[in-house]
Amino acid sequence: MTTPVAASLIRLRGVSKSYELGSGRFTALQDLSLDVGDGECVAVVGKSGSGKTTLINLLTGIDSPTTGEIHIAGHSIHRMSQEELTVWRGRNVGVVFQFFQLLPTLTVAENVMLPMDFCATYSSAQRRPRALALLHRLGIADQADKLPADLSGGQQQRAAIARALANDPPILVADEPTGNLDSSTSDDVMSFLASLARDGKTVLTVTHERDLSRFFTRTVTLHDGVMAEDSASRRRAIA
Amino acid sequence: MSPRWTKVLRDIQMARGRLLMIIVALAASVAAVATMLSAYTVLVREVPRNYLGTNPASAQLTLEREVSDELLKQVRSRPNIVAAEAAATVLARIEVGTNEWLPLMLFVIPNFDTLRINTLHRESGVWPPQTGAMLVERSALPLTRTSLGRPVNIELRQGGRGSILIAGTVHDPRLAPAWQEQSVYGYITPPTLTRLGETAPLNLLKIVVGEGAGDGKAIEFTVRELASWLAGKGYQVLEARIPPPKLHPHQAQMNAVLVMLLIFSLLALLLGAVLTATVIGGLLAQQVRQIAIMKAIGARARQVAGLYLALVCALGIAAVAIGLPLGLAAGQGFIALIAELLNLRIDSLALPWWLFAATLLLGLAGPLVAALAPIQLAARRTVKDAIDDHGVSPGALRSSWMIRVLAHIRVTDAALKLAVRNVFRRRSRLVLTLSLLAGAGGMFVTCLNLKAAWEDTVTRAAHDRHFSLELYLQQAAPLERVVTLAAGVPGVRHVEPWDVAPASIASGDGLEIAHRYPDGTHASFVLRAAPPETELIAHTMSEGRWLHAQDSDAVVINTSAQAIAFRGVKLGDRVMLSVDRRMLNLRLVGVTRELLIPGTAYITPDVFAKATRSAGLTNAVRIVLADREPVEAVSHSIVQALEREHIGVKVVVTDRRLAAAQAGHVYILVFALGFIAIVMALVGLLGLASSLGTAVIERTREFGTMRAMGMRSGDVIRSVLGEGVLIGLLSWIAAVIVSLPLSAWVGAVLASISAQELSPQLSPFGAGLWLCVVLLGSMLVSSYPAKRASQLTIKQTLSRT
Repeated sequence: MTTPVAASLIRLRGVSKSYELGSGRFTALQDLSLDVGDGECVAVVGKSGSGKTTLINLLTGIDSPTTGEIHIAGHSIHRMSQEELTVWRGRNVGVVFQFFQLLPTLTVAENVMLPMDFCATYSSAQRRPRALALLHRLGIADQADKLPADLSGGQQQRAAIARALANDPPILVADEPTGNLDSSTSDDVMSFLASLARDGKTVLTVTHERDLSRFFTRTVTLHDGVMAEDSASRRRAIA
Repeated sequence: MSPRWTKVLRDIQMARGRLLMIIVALAASVAAVATMLSAYTVLVREVPRNYLGTNPASAQLTLEREVSDELLKQVRSRPNIVAAEAAATVLARIEVGTNEWLPLMLFVIPNFDTLRINTLHRESGVWPPQTGAMLVERSALPLTRTSLGRPVNIELRQGGRGSILIAGTVHDPRLAPAWQEQSVYGYITPPTLTRLGETAPLNLLKIVVGEGAGDGKAIEFTVRELASWLAGKGYQVLEARIPPPKLHPHQAQMNAVLVMLLIFSLLALLLGAVLTATVIGGLLAQQVRQIAIMKAIGARARQVAGLYLALVCALGIAAVAIGLPLGLAAGQGFIALIAELLNLRIDSLALPWWLFAATLLLGLAGPLVAALAPIQLAARRTVKDAIDDHGVSPGALRSSWMIRVLAHIRVTDAALKLAVRNVFRRRSRLVLTLSLLAGAGGMFVTCLNLKAAWEDTVTRAAHDRHFSLELYLQQAAPLERVVTLAAGVPGVRHVEPWDVAPASIASGDGLEIAHRYPDGTHASFVLRAAPPETELIAHTMSEGRWLHAQDSDAVVINTSAQAIAFRGVKLGDRVMLSVDRRMLNLRLVGVTRELLIPGTAYITPDVFAKATRSAGLTNAVRIVLADREPVEAVSHSIVQALEREHIGVKVVVTDRRLAAAQAGHVYILVFALGFIAIVMALVGLLGLASSLGTAVIERTREFGTMRAMGMRSGDVIRSVLGEGVLIGLLSWIAAVIVSLPLSAWVGAVLASISAQELSPQLSPFGAGLWLCVVLLGSMLVSSYPAKRASQLTIKQTLSRT
């Protein structure tokens, strides 16, 4: 059971998600309520099939809940159409995927410029300098004009994070961002995500790597689609 | 350039092979459309312009005696007559080789310089022809086997043999090409005719009406009034010919064929558009995750759709840029071919602006409309749905009957079993690929069905004719003499007289009006004396009975005559026929189905002889040769034997010549259909290549998994090749089914053109050939994706974006 946070950026109430499969109905998330505030760096952990990715998909509007409500920064995204969700997501949520998912035919800089192009958040003249600034911040400015295939896994994930930050969204969501990286690179990536939270962005990361918990201010544990543990509740309870 | 358009350009570069395939297919389709559209536009404009440019006579009246200048003046002042001229037509023959003669139709024109009706276009040589010289129709000059300025021998009914100079050539758009009719057309002045010893009065009165010049009924009304007035003046009208007003003899048939070919070329474009949809669908399947990512980072559905629609638009523009000039060039060739076939002169090849606009629009709109659905579908997919895509139609492997059916197919080879199942994985794509191949195959098989139907007609026609050749004499000759001479030639087994005379339906008021062209061959029929007990033809009666020896007023018509002149006449009805300026009151007793025989009405020899007052004479005989006798050699000997006795032979008709006279109409259509079928086959096989290429891309991970489980390269190749061949086989079945109604339709159009019955049939050769083409083609186009699939490493397959 979660305690409402006074100024929640993200608020989930009674959210459930079920899928119709050949073998019958499968419930991925059940009656989940969660509040996440500004600047929190949240780890969503759990075993395979616990509902982590489903939760992330619901938070990013990639999927919609079967029941329940999702409010993010004052928007009731459970009521939005796919098109409205796309516009909203482009400006408010940066998404980082496990397999980087950079467009293979665009250079790294072009990949970063793409969200600005689609959402028209920056003028044409501003896009490349901003992309280069983001890549510089992530330490891969020298790779800007290379194709993703020429980069290492770590560099590609950094580029994917830069792309997620292109429109300066208040929320960054990452699904197993270190799943394909070595431990040293994983630490670098997680440090950067944590620094984003410190700078005021809200970061939610799905991970199954417990040893990365030091980078998070809060850990939400899922088990068979229900919340098994929320470190924030525990801290509040101890306090 | 913004990143999204950079992506489009790089996608083009990455998928250049497949996109080039679309451009080639679309360009070929656009070329086919441009060919047929330009041909249609030019011919539909130029044919009437050619024909109407000659100021064709609204009617031609044959008077009992010569039309005087004074009478002409009075006719011109009659109500609703804007022009009138006198002329004469004389039938003769021309020697084109040693003892080798062809029919010669001489048009006698009083004054070439004041000719206002049925005018001629000067082509070469002297104009007007001096006395003792003639102009020939341009298409007839090659038949004369001589050149301008040289004399030729001709033979006239009264004047006998004589020599005449060929002074020049003219173009007469009203006439079919001389090579097609195997007849020479000449134009002379009355003094030339006199010098040749022939006395033919200028008894043809050509008129052009004012009001209602395009209305056959109005012309007929004017003609009847004129005939009545002429009768009052002492000029009996023997016959009046009213051709279909303002319509070239081949206009309707040509329009029908061009519209049909245009429809087929549009069908080819439609298939090209479907191919675009298939390839773009494949590209979208390949980029399904990229689309998901773009949407995840803020791309709206219409932005995503815009990228791919722009890509299709670029392909369309490239295809039009290549296909339009090619099509226009091919169109010019096709126009020239039709012009030669119909004896037309094309004054202008100018094309209207809308043709370019329409071709551009079709070239762009076709693929855009076809690709719109898969693009919108892909663009509107949710991010989650797209990310979860594994290359199977939603529910395809869950559903029931298909899997149950497939499960019953016992295939022991795992690779082939996989091939069978994979065919049905993407059902919408399978339907598109099958439609492409079935459309192409349907057209291909139709083309050969048509050829087979024609050849079958020729064979059946030959089977129905139990004689080897037919001789038409210059003029009626003593029956006994002709039969004796012909029968005396070695190799001749039997000779039977089958007299012939042009005929027409006579009206109740005694004026004979024939709705036919002045050349007498189009829209006309003949009357023949048929021995009732004859065994020289097989009587396949569609109605009623054949002639009996005791029939005194019975007439049997063939189906061509029924279509031309006896519509609405029922068995037992009485019909008035006009033959040799005499009226015959006959009773219709039967309709016989004859193949490749022009419109003919049959009466007994006795009735014929009485009607034409030709007892003891004959002007045509049918001859049976002994087995294995060379027809051409024996016919030459017969002609020589008759010539020695001064019995002129107008024309010799053999099976081969009979079939050849109509084959031109059919084979040009077979050729044009074949051209479109090849374009469509190219499109169909490219569609299959694209479909399999896409399937391999979609299943990359699957191949990796299977290879990790031990599947060998050979198994992968067999699986993909098997899938291609199976799709090819399914498409073959669909193609054969499609070809049946298509063949029936094309056959009906062709039957209306040739006025001959064509029985639609399935050509086993055509179906077999397409099976070979589609199987070989399927293997060929499957081999590349199969090889590519077999070369994928496990590492590559598992790191796919």
